[in-house]
Amino acid sequence: MTIIFLLIGISLIVALLFLGAFLWAVRSGQYEDTYTPAVRMLFDETDDTETKGS
Amino acid sequence: MRLPTPCPPVTTTAAPETTTRVACTHCGDDCPDEPIALSGQPELHFCCQGCKAVYELLDASNLCTYYRLDEQPGQRVKTVELPGRFDYLDLESVQSQLLAFRSPTLARLTLTIPQMHCASCIWLLENLFKLNAGIRESRVNFLRKELTVSYQPATTSLKEVVTLLAAINYEPQITLAELGAQPHAASRTLYYQLGVAAFGFGNVMLLAFPDYFSFTEGLHTAFGRFFGGLSLLLALPVLLVSARSFYQSAWQGLRQRYINLDFPISLGLTALFVTSVFDVLTQRGPGYFDSFTGLVFFMLIGKWVQQHSYDALRFDRDFTSYFPVAVTLLTKAGEQSVSVKELQAGQRIRVRHQEIIPADAVLLRGVGLIDYSFVSGESVPVAKAVGEVVYAGGRQVGESVELEVVREVSQGYLTQLWNNPAFEKEARPTLETYANHVGRYFVALTLTLAIGSVLYWYPKDPQMALRAFTSVLIIACPCALSLATPFAMGAALRVLGRRQLYLKNAAVIETLSRADTLVFDKTGTLTDAHRAVVSFCGPALSSEDAQRVAALVGQSTHPLSQRLALHLGPSAFRIDEYTEIPGQGISGVVAGTSVRVGSAAFIGADVPSEASEERSSKVYVALDGQPCGHYAIQSDYRENLPTLLKNLGQRYRLALLTGDNDADIIRLRQLFGAEAELRFQQSPLEKLAFVEALQQQGRRVVMVGDGLNDAGALQRADVGIALTETLTNFSPACDAILEASSFGRLATILRFARDCRFIVLATFGLSFCYNGIGLSLAVQGLLTPIASAILMPISSLSVMAFATLLVRYAAHRRQL
Repeated sequence: MTIIFLLIGISLIVALLFLGAFLWAVRSGQYEDTYTPAVRMLFDETDDTETKGS
Repeated sequence: MRLPTPCPPVTTTAAPETTTRVACTHCGDDCPDEPIALSGQPELHFCCQGCKAVYELLDASNLCTYYRLDEQPGQRVKTVELPGRFDYLDLESVQSQLLAFRSPTLARLTLTIPQMHCASCIWLLENLFKLNAGIRESRVNFLRKELTVSYQPATTSLKEVVTLLAAINYEPQITLAELGAQPHAASRTLYYQLGVAAFGFGNVMLLAFPDYFSFTEGLHTAFGRFFGGLSLLLALPVLLVSARSFYQSAWQGLRQRYINLDFPISLGLTALFVTSVFDVLTQRGPGYFDSFTGLVFFMLIGKWVQQHSYDALRFDRDFTSYFPVAVTLLTKAGEQSVSVKELQAGQRIRVRHQEIIPADAVLLRGVGLIDYSFVSGESVPVAKAVGEVVYAGGRQVGESVELEVVREVSQGYLTQLWNNPAFEKEARPTLETYANHVGRYFVALTLTLAIGSVLYWYPKDPQMALRAFTSVLIIACPCALSLATPFAMGAALRVLGRRQLYLKNAAVIETLSRADTLVFDKTGTLTDAHRAVVSFCGPALSSEDAQRVAALVGQSTHPLSQRLALHLGPSAFRIDEYTEIPGQGISGVVAGTSVRVGSAAFIGADVPSEASEERSSKVYVALDGQPCGHYAIQSDYRENLPTLLKNLGQRYRLALLTGDNDADIIRLRQLFGAEAELRFQQSPLEKLAFVEALQQQGRRVVMVGDGLNDAGALQRADVGIALTETLTNFSPACDAILEASSFGRLATILRFARDCRFIVLATFGLSFCYNGIGLSLAVQGLLTPIASAILMPISSLSVMAFATLLVRYAAHRRQL
């Protein structure tokens, strides 16, 4: 049953990684503008070619 | 997701030959009968030279994707090119205050651009570097309507960047308020707290599972100590990071000798944590860490729901958000741009077309035609002659004028309003919400019960007494209670937002529901600038003559001309020799007759001087040099005003405050009823004093106004509602912004606010039931960790769902 210690240790590390990822996302400002990035990703990189629009 | 401002309606572009309606390629407005076409591409039509210029500029840089992303994404170009308009941006003092970052190779600043409204706007504004090689990067925050630009000061300048933005019709709003303002730092604390609480809650819950199920008894004996210690470790950051705001708020309340709802919450959380630590360290049991972290997590969600904010709207604006940054100073050495803050009495300034007058001044040269629509709500410009005093806040229309400053900016007739104590921060006492009110009784009840149970148990079983005491404190933590208001109000905030009433925060609804007096401003609030009553005074004009006048006024863009044109209808006559003299009138030869339309002096009519006291605007007409009467144009009241005021009058005491004279008193008395208080010729300060006097009588006042002259009353009132025609426009500091189109719904909105109050009270009732069940267990000493772990999420979740659904139902029933 001592395997439980190891398993809980691993699960905690995974959970901590997710917590860290969340804190990083907040810190980098991803929760401040929740609209513009969604529009921005639909833009085409080049505007010389014929685009269909969005 | 819905755009805060809708994109212009997609118009079907019909073939230009067959239809009378040709949409401008840039802005989608109707083109004139002979649309302006582009020389290279005759199939493209434009409504005006301004729109064409923008298209050509974008076309030259291969940026026409702009027109493909959204149909006719542009907005009609209205601004007039003025030399030297942005010269002040070269001033060192202005730059140092506007730029967020500055080095020889890179400069960065954030500009507010209210015009942005669709995907095309985002695309174009983020491709600015293609228009100006000196721009390194530009990023849009659409919800805030902000653009962050980085540029190389070596190759370009701030002035060039802003001029470029103005050229493509996205002129940034640079006002006094932006100078020295701190960059908008959104609060990320709540997100951090939520993240930590969720992390703690999830993991502690897993570790607590062995205790929930009896068949894992073996597991528990083997790992109990380890799990307990680990839970303590995980709960510690939740206490230190996530629960901090509750303790802070409770402490703040205590310092003001005031017990708010966060006080019993803090008490409960502390009891919960201390008991759990004690249990774990003495190996009595696993403690209540799962309940503790869960409570904190749910209550933080409550805070988050309530925090819904309208990023693009500002509720804290004062006159500085409206006044310009710099003004053209006339010195012996010539014209010079100076910061408005440095302006002193006695100095001479020049104010050009469409510029704001920054300080009270005397007109020295030129014809003043001042548009005070932002101050009073009156949309018809006022003419001022040389020697007259011009008050700050008006916008000059027409030719440029010279003024001598009489008072410094902050001491003006209008601006001294902001020196009133009502504008001092924290002048208002802590808001007395229901939740805080209930919280106080809650503390008293809890402590009584806790001490009671100790007294009952102590003689029989001292151990049990301690247990009962802590149990009562734990279960009395009013977490369900604290969730009721945020979820009900948060849902109501969203419902009202859909109906164009934007509230500063959720607490406004509660104050709104308790209001008993409504005070209205007249001009711009009760009257609708788009509706006008036009009457002709004098011998009636023949229909042919009326057509002549119609033809002439149809050519002018002056607001009075446009109203008159709307009233008279279209005309088929041709005009020759059309001339317009700003501030005076227009003239021309229509079908062989010379027609002059404008002020009395312009057409040479003798007017008794007292006539100018009247409220209506007059447009005089002369045919062949003979004055033949005038049109009186008067703003009409909003369409649904009589029914609205009748509805409101049944429940509320009504009052009217206006800066105008009492010319319209009979009509207003009819509208408002016999008991309403009507006050005329009120200065901004008198309006504030009136609201204050009402409050001293114990009344809860809602003020509805629109201009800067209502700013004091809006600030002082319990709820200040600013009415606005378009959201991107300026609105003074207030608690709520209402779009004018929803004005007729005011009675329904107030009724809905009262519904919300009952919903909150009903939800309080529900959460009291849970507290009651918990307390009955607690005083018997039966509250085990598992009972608490079951009761806590059930009560929290059901209160959240109950409050949200009831508000939705109420909104549905009120047809909001």
